Amino acid sequence: MPRQTFEEAVLPHLDAAFNYARWLTKSDADAEDVVQDASLRAPRFFSSLRSDDTRAWPFTIVRNTWYGRFPQATGANRPTVYDDMKHDRPDEGLDPEALVMQQQAVEKVQRAVQELPTDSREVIILRELEGLSYKEIAAVAGTPIGTVMSRLARARERLQAILGPAATPLGEPS
Amino acid sequence: MCLEAGRLLDAFIDHELGPAESADLQAHLGSCGACLQLLADRESLGRLVRQLPYYPASDQLRAKMLRLSTGPRFNRSLVAWAAVLALAVSLGSAEVVRFARARHVVKATASVADEVVGDHVRALRDAHLFDVRSSDQHTVKPWFLGKLDFSPPVEDLSSVGFSLIGGRLDHVAGQPVAALVYQRRLHPINVYIWPAADRTAASDTRSIRGFQVRHWIRNGMSFWAVSDLNDAELGEFVRALQR
Repeated sequence: MPRQTFEEAVLPHLDAAFNYARWLTKSDADAEDVVQDASLRAPRFFSSLRSDDTRAWPFTIVRNTWYGRFPQATGANRPTVYDDMKHDRPDEGLDPEALVMQQQAVEKVQRAVQELPTDSREVIILRELEGLSYKEIAAVAGTPIGTVMSRLARARERLQAILGPAATPLGEPS
Repeated sequence: MCLEAGRLLDAFIDHELGPAESADLQAHLGSCGACLQLLADRESLGRLVRQLPYYPASDQLRAKMLRLSTGPRFNRSLVAWAAVLALAVSLGSAEVVRFARARHVVKATASVADEVVGDHVRALRDAHLFDVRSSDQHTVKPWFLGKLDFSPPVEDLSSVGFSLIGGRLDHVAGQPVAALVYQRRLHPINVYIWPAADRTAASDTRSIRGFQVRHWIRNGMSFWAVSDLNDAELGEFVRALQR
């Protein structure tokens, strides 16, 4: 039953693949293209798969497809405007609604994450939204685990610098 | 030490440090306010980042993928397909064996009822109801992907007065389970879900320490609902969930 198996093999990973692609490309249309291409490449990719890569493979193939389509996305990251954003904190105390504050904080983090260079952005997404281990992220990005560790630390430092000390989520004493 | 601690802090937060390094760092944190503050900042940041939007695939994309899987394009590369199939099947069976060994499927017993009530109380006391806070079932459901070896059914019931407010990963009898959080007025309802040990339609209604507990099995999943709601309303909730 080939159809059954394709569905079982690819479809369960579709949301994760799309979410990752969406964060990489920052565009619904590009993300759909990348995921579709990635699925077409999946058969070839499967043959080189090691069994301990099972969680990482949807991300690996999406990543390879994305860098294949947009080679300029590699390495050469455009400089970002951290200094401007530093002064862009929401006015505290203006809105007493904790939920609104929370929403603003999340939107701010979202903008900050989108401003990160690609290699920082992807480690944040893979670690925080997908819960991948350093080893799995290293498999996806094709880098040593030490590189994953330092990229993640750098990415978080940048986010913290952008967000400032007011980044206190709901339920925390502020 | 602070320089070294700073280098290890992220790995510590991500549970990626070995026991020795982890103990060293913990000892340092006990005596260094600056590093402790850094840890608190990182944890706050983590909680915010984990609430970032999760973009699930659109229905159109899913439909397109389904068409691709049956379309002529794939028939051309039968050899590649054979490789995919063989591998997917072998991976599948390896997974099955691994899970079959690892999982001591939780039995629906009185001790489970006690445990879910205890967990419900702890989650409320520690104000840790959510790992993912959202009223959107399409955000909550995909959040569990990759965190559990099953996909829990997630349904918003706000149309009948029970709002989905989030979900979290939890443990019952040492096994990872999905916990969904609903709310009616100010009463939270925790629903614990994991694959059922058997498919018999066992169900159970209890009252433990003032909490109402309902258990049922449906579509191969074991459900436990716990709340301080009265029994009639919790019954209404359970029926809505079973529809």
